[in-house]
Amino acid sequence: MYERSKAAPQDNPIAPVDDVGWSALVKGGSFPMSERDILLQIAQVLTTMLLAPLIQGIIVQFEERIQRAQGPGLFQPYRDLWKLFHKQIVVPQTASWLFFAAPVVAFTCMLVVPILIPVLTNFPLPLSDMGDILGGGLILTLGSFMIVLAGLDTSSAYGGIGSSRAVMVAILAEPTLILVFVGITLLAKAMLPFVVNHLLVSSWAVYWSPAHLFLVAAFFILLLVETDRMPIHSSTHIEVYMIDEGRILEYSGPLLALIKWASAMKQFILYTIFCNVLILPWGLSVEGTAIGAAGAAVALIIKFALVACVVVFVETAQSRLRFFRYQEPLAASFLLAILSIVGTQLS
Amino acid sequence: MMVGALILTLAAAPALAVIGCMAARRPRAAEALNLIASAVSFACAMPLPFLINGQQLQFWNDYIMIDRMSAWVVLCTSIVYFLASIYAVGYMRLLNEDKRLCTFYALFAGFGLTTLIGPLMNSVGIYWIAIELTTLVSTFLIAFERVAESMEAAWKYIMVVSAGISLALLGTILFYWGGSFVLGPSYKMTWATLTDAAPQMNPALLKLAFLLVLVGYGTKVGLAPMHSWLPDAHSESPAPVSAMLSGALLNTAMIGIVRFLGVTKAANLGWLPQCTLVAFGIVSLFLGALFIVRQQGIKRLMAYSSIEHMGVVALGFGFGGALGVAGALYHMLNHSLNKSLMFFGAGIMMRAYGTKEIALIHGVGCRFPTEGALWLAGAIAITGAPPFGLFLSEFTIMRAGLKPPFSWAVYVMAILLIVIFIGFMNHFRAMYYQSTQSEESKGDRLSGWCVAPMWLSLIPLLVLGLWWPTHVWDYLASIAQSLNLEPQ
Amino acid sequence: MLVQHLSPIASSLFSLLAIACLLLSFVMLGSRWLNNYLYAFAAESWIIAVLSAAVGFYGNYPELYLIAILTLLFRGLLLPYLVWRIIRRLDVDREIHLFLQPSTSLIVGALFVMLALSVSFRIAAELHLQLTVATLALTVMLSMKLIGFLILALRHEAVSQILGLLVLENGIFLGSQILVPGMPLLIEMVILFDLLIIVACFGVLVGYLMTHAGTTSSLDLKRLVG
Repeated sequence: MYERSKAAPQDNPIAPVDDVGWSALVKGGSFPMSERDILLQIAQVLTTMLLAPLIQGIIVQFEERIQRAQGPGLFQPYRDLWKLFHKQIVVPQTASWLFFAAPVVAFTCMLVVPILIPVLTNFPLPLSDMGDILGGGLILTLGSFMIVLAGLDTSSAYGGIGSSRAVMVAILAEPTLILVFVGITLLAKAMLPFVVNHLLVSSWAVYWSPAHLFLVAAFFILLLVETDRMPIHSSTHIEVYMIDEGRILEYSGPLLALIKWASAMKQFILYTIFCNVLILPWGLSVEGTAIGAAGAAVALIIKFALVACVVVFVETAQSRLRFFRYQEPLAASFLLAILSIVGTQLS
Repeated sequence: MMVGALILTLAAAPALAVIGCMAARRPRAAEALNLIASAVSFACAMPLPFLINGQQLQFWNDYIMIDRMSAWVVLCTSIVYFLASIYAVGYMRLLNEDKRLCTFYALFAGFGLTTLIGPLMNSVGIYWIAIELTTLVSTFLIAFERVAESMEAAWKYIMVVSAGISLALLGTILFYWGGSFVLGPSYKMTWATLTDAAPQMNPALLKLAFLLVLVGYGTKVGLAPMHSWLPDAHSESPAPVSAMLSGALLNTAMIGIVRFLGVTKAANLGWLPQCTLVAFGIVSLFLGALFIVRQQGIKRLMAYSSIEHMGVVALGFGFGGALGVAGALYHMLNHSLNKSLMFFGAGIMMRAYGTKEIALIHGVGCRFPTEGALWLAGAIAITGAPPFGLFLSEFTIMRAGLKPPFSWAVYVMAILLIVIFIGFMNHFRAMYYQSTQSEESKGDRLSGWCVAPMWLSLIPLLVLGLWWPTHVWDYLASIAQSLNLEPQ
Repeated sequence: MLVQHLSPIASSLFSLLAIACLLLSFVMLGSRWLNNYLYAFAAESWIIAVLSAAVGFYGNYPELYLIAILTLLFRGLLLPYLVWRIIRRLDVDREIHLFLQPSTSLIVGALFVMLALSVSFRIAAELHLQLTVATLALTVMLSMKLIGFLILALRHEAVSQILGLLVLENGIFLGSQILVPGMPLLIEMVILFDLLIIVACFGVLVGYLMTHAGTTSSLDLKRLVG
């Protein structure tokens, strides 16, 4: 299996460079896959599932604190989910099978992505070679696509508006996202998140190169957009300009819980990519021991808290843009990605 | 060191006039100072071409250089400066702006100074700065009338020209960079060193740099797609300033293009540099013809004619060879004389009829018999009709172009010149012969200050048209050789 | 040529500073507030001053320290102060009518950067330069040139146009510091002074425009046509 994936990228013009190639990433001798690696892989998915609401809680709490309010407490999202799972499901008469399928598919997508990215370990685990960064992005997009369909499915006005807005933002964000991926690929000569991680850890010159810094900035803007943060839209309140809340207005009970959980996990995954691949590639388990994995989980929370601080700062400092100015931050992000590509070409 | 002393006096006279005009509180004193300075400059510039004997002389730590071409251009400039200064005495009194007249003459002398010293700069970088300074000084001259139109013209002028000329700076830096591969990181970037180093420089870099310089200085020259500032600036400034802009400033910038062309010729870049220059020339002629035919403003007519003639000069240098270069340089002199005459006449008519519209000017011939005749003669001359100097020079340029690569350009040029002739004469017919119902007072008394320079420019123009001295021909033809513009 | 023997640290420092300058010119392109233009321009000038000093340090050109100090004083402090005075006098604080939305102009600017990149790649290939700093400097120089022209074309306020011109000049100055650090001192100094005079002239002219034409927006300057 590893042999195949080693050969496959070399068919591409952009093959992994030898010193940080795929074979070097696989821990020496642990081939075929050990049970420990399988356990670690399961742990990655579980970490994502269990810690995702916590990140949401941290951000909400920070935000309230910065606005001098008390805040609901770090664990409020867990309590919300618990409550929702114990409620009854109300289904609109106009709903079709999509209405039930969408939350499940979305949730499943979010369970798949953590397998592909370095959540706890800095080496690939079993099945990590199923897809590269682009594949992860594809699966994430599939999740939001299902929610868009579900919003249209009930044929309620708010669902339609929310879906159309979400699609517009996606149209604006997608070219930039692709460009960022291209930039990452050109930087590391590979599309695998583990390779990028290793490259950044091993070389300060690359870490501080303009190309990398621009990528970080471009991805940060995308992060704000994709996780429904302030310059684009705020997910905290139900209001006329809502996007994400509009799509799921018809949902209730466990289905709503699944969707909320999925969106929290999406946020967690994007933060993981941002931290572990791009900006803070340190603090991952190298040996793959249980202690190391637990330490990596703790480190992950600390890193996320740091990023959350910045996000909260942006949310507080920046007021929401008018609908017709959504393209501005995305254009800036596009530009940064271009500059980063120019930088990789010239360094 | 006769030449050195002359150059020093040439520059010192207007420089002192600037200081004097600012110090003098009385307008008449400023007038006199500027006039004397221009006369002195003219007197110094006149013998320069005879004295330098074909060699290149350098002064002041090699920052000043005079060769045949710069002596020639300085001569053209000083003639225009002198004529315009005489005319300004009469014209500026008509404006009733006595309070600001001292400022005007200080700026005017400053403009004269910068245009005179520009061609003498030996360092390519300093030359750029001299050209930039001419822009800054002339902006305030254009804005002198303090009405909305002249403000607009001044703003467009400084914006377009500064932006354009920054391209020339970029090109200059690239030339320097190219030279640094040959001559080491630090060297004196004079025209001569560049020409010597050019054969070893990288051709692609030279091409890019030359195109940038051409577009940059071409903006200042008013070559066609970059000409947009020119009609506004020429039409809205006081008439003596228009004459200076057209007769002196454009030549000063042209010389930069020609010297860079010489550098690229030394590097043997093929036809590209000359072809671009020819293309710009043709486009300028075409645009000039188009706007001359449908023109409504009298001074804008003259301005578009300047674009046309700069196009002709560009064609001459683009065709190259002894004929082309000699024709182009001769054309510069003739155009300087003739365009001064045209602007002087236009200024008089504008003041007399109180309008810039061609449609509102009638019966010039009846009202101003002498001046009208002079102006009409100038109009015939400027369209390139015999027996005036421009006919000879345009004819020479056409002969230069009748070679395989550019013969098409000659035919286009001939057709466009005919179109321009018809358009120009049509406007003058309307102004001279259209019936006038209200017969105005015949023969307004015009100040001699205004009429004298018209005579002074027409007579040499006629002489130059009838007689092209062999010495002048040899002189101009030898410039082609010194610039490497002989055909290979 | 200086860049032929540079330590990796120096070359990455140069590229960081050059790209930061480029980014700041994008800030100018992406904003519609005159104050933002001004701050971005001032910051750009400061970065160029640091770059001059760095080139002087790594390339052993002591005279560049002088240039750095003069750049700091003139481009970094005096020019922004002069422009700030113009802004204060005009009572205009932002571009009102835009041909292109800031986001669109950012995209166009990004395309210009790619154009500049391809041109400088061609030139670098012609010159057999393996030196990426030189290529980068050329790219930044050309793209700042293009962005400056874009600002001139898209913005109408007098102040924005002045700043657009200054971006053009900054681009050239930045490129020349890296490509031709050995350029005669005299020329660089005269260009600095020249810039000062230009801005002073612009200041006077903007005053005239306000008084005599009643506007400082080039959209209203359309009396002279044909």
